[in-house]
Amino acid sequence: MVELDHSFATGKPAAYNWDAILDLERVIPCVEGGKVVEATSPDQVKAEIKVKMGAMSMTFKGTVEVAERDADAHTALLRIRSRDAGGQGYANADVAFALADGGGTIHTAAQISGKAASMGEGVVTTVLDALIKDFTQKLAGI
Amino acid sequence: MIRLGPENGRLTVHTGRAGAIARAGHDLELEVTRWEATFTPDAIELTADPGSLRVHSGKGGMTPLGDEEKAGIAQTIREEVLKSGSISFRSTRVTPRADGLDVEGELELLGVRGALAFPLRLEDGHLTGRATVKQSAWRITPYSALFGTLKVADHVDVAIDATLPKEPDDG
Repeated sequence: MVELDHSFATGKPAAYNWDAILDLERVIPCVEGGKVVEATSPDQVKAEIKVKMGAMSMTFKGTVEVAERDADAHTALLRIRSRDAGGQGYANADVAFALADGGGTIHTAAQISGKAASMGEGVVTTVLDALIKDFTQKLAGI
Repeated sequence: MIRLGPENGRLTVHTGRAGAIARAGHDLELEVTRWEATFTPDAIELTADPGSLRVHSGKGGMTPLGDEEKAGIAQTIREEVLKSGSISFRSTRVTPRADGLDVEGELELLGVRGALAFPLRLEDGHLTGRATVKQSAWRITPYSALFGTLKVADHVDVAIDATLPKEPDDG
């Protein structure tokens, strides 16, 4: 299990950030290589992410759902469950957002197995940290 | 005039790694399979076809490079780094030394020109040399993957190792 904490700034009111984060069709494309494949309900989508590494690329396919939400506290938990389309591995994550005026914080708890994990936890942590930092920068323009 | 090409030896490119997870990547030896160089006593010119780059070998990394990965890397270099640009070098000064030549000149890489100097060693008709090219000096952004955690190092070495033909080409 890899756990990481990040913050992000949008310069927008808490209510705006709340609506944006819960709109999966807006938030998922903010992950580099991520896209919504099909909206299966207002709170769940089929999605995939393609991670390119020079010659090699890995595609993880699965679901993203709004698993918990507290409108008063402006907190929400997005649950990601995905499998490596070309192998036996998986990438799962619980991503907890706490939103406020101007931005928010993200706590990520991820479990990754298979080819990606074979590079070692240090590598996985470094890459995941870079992925989320890139995500927070894109959230600035959401 | 002496003409050299792949039939006389090898023109290779050697890349290193940078970034937070550099150890996960490979140091690459790339071979240019279509190139031509001409030598006269006071001038050297070389052109290389960027579309002819092949991955010869990779060192380091978590797993060895297979043929599929090598082909994929070559494709990435062609499509995302060198694109359809041209590569040429023309000397501006060639100074003889006891064991070879000191060469100064201009490298044109993807439309950008810059100064490049390197020594060439000549021994018993065998020519070897190595030049270091800083990609960013030619406005090339070194290739980066995995959100910038794995990059090709900015400095790339280009090496030549060739045997001079016995008879000069008068054409």
